[in-house]
Amino acid sequence: MMRLNAFQQLQECQQVALLYQQGVYIGKRKLGSTVIVLYQLEGFYAEVFYRTYRREIMWIDCFSETAKLDPYLAGIDVEHLVL
Amino acid sequence: MTKYIAPKNIVVYADDDPDDIELVEEAFRQFANNVEVVTFPDGSQAVSYLKNLSEEDPLPCLVIFDINMPVLNGKEALVRLRQIEKYEEVPVVLFTTSSMPIDKNFAQHYGAGFVTKPLGFEQMEIITREFINHCAEEIQKQIRR
Repeated sequence: MMRLNAFQQLQECQQVALLYQQGVYIGKRKLGSTVIVLYQLEGFYAEVFYRTYRREIMWIDCFSETAKLDPYLAGIDVEHLVL
Repeated sequence: MTKYIAPKNIVVYADDDPDDIELVEEAFRQFANNVEVVTFPDGSQAVSYLKNLSEEDPLPCLVIFDINMPVLNGKEALVRLRQIEKYEEVPVVLFTTSSMPIDKNFAQHYGAGFVTKPLGFEQMEIITREFINHCAEEIQKQIRR
């Protein structure tokens, strides 16, 4: 199992390959012209910041704090789940 | 002299994410002389379009469905399409953010390809080739000429 600190030590191309193979897509958000895609790996999360969506990566930020998920949760429509 | 212009090969793509639609359109732009990408925001509209093509209309060379879509998701759309006789053999690819074996197996069960959405440019180049590889051999030659 890949841990957060081990993931952080990888080169960006290795991080990308791992996210592609094992990452679970959680959501997408926009910050100005930057598109940010959130993936979950075992025990932590990784945000991919794109200059050009799914083409040009600016950087990858990884973390385990769930507070950073708030911007994504805000975008989920839960109305249909309410009785 | 009348010059014969071969009709373009049609790729049908359904995805509710406009960014992904743009990405796929851009990926096929290099084959724009031979391929036209027809897009829909959900599976239901794509299936309706395909269902209503007349006998004279050429069948698409490839149908691409995102999995997570409103109204009719990609898996449901694939099942509905396979129930229509003329689409039993048409190449279909599920193009998704998922890399889960359960989704791969589902695609395989219904005779469809399975491609995970890329993270970077290099992967997109590979994926475009993969899309074309799902087309019939004759179509692949036409697209790449």
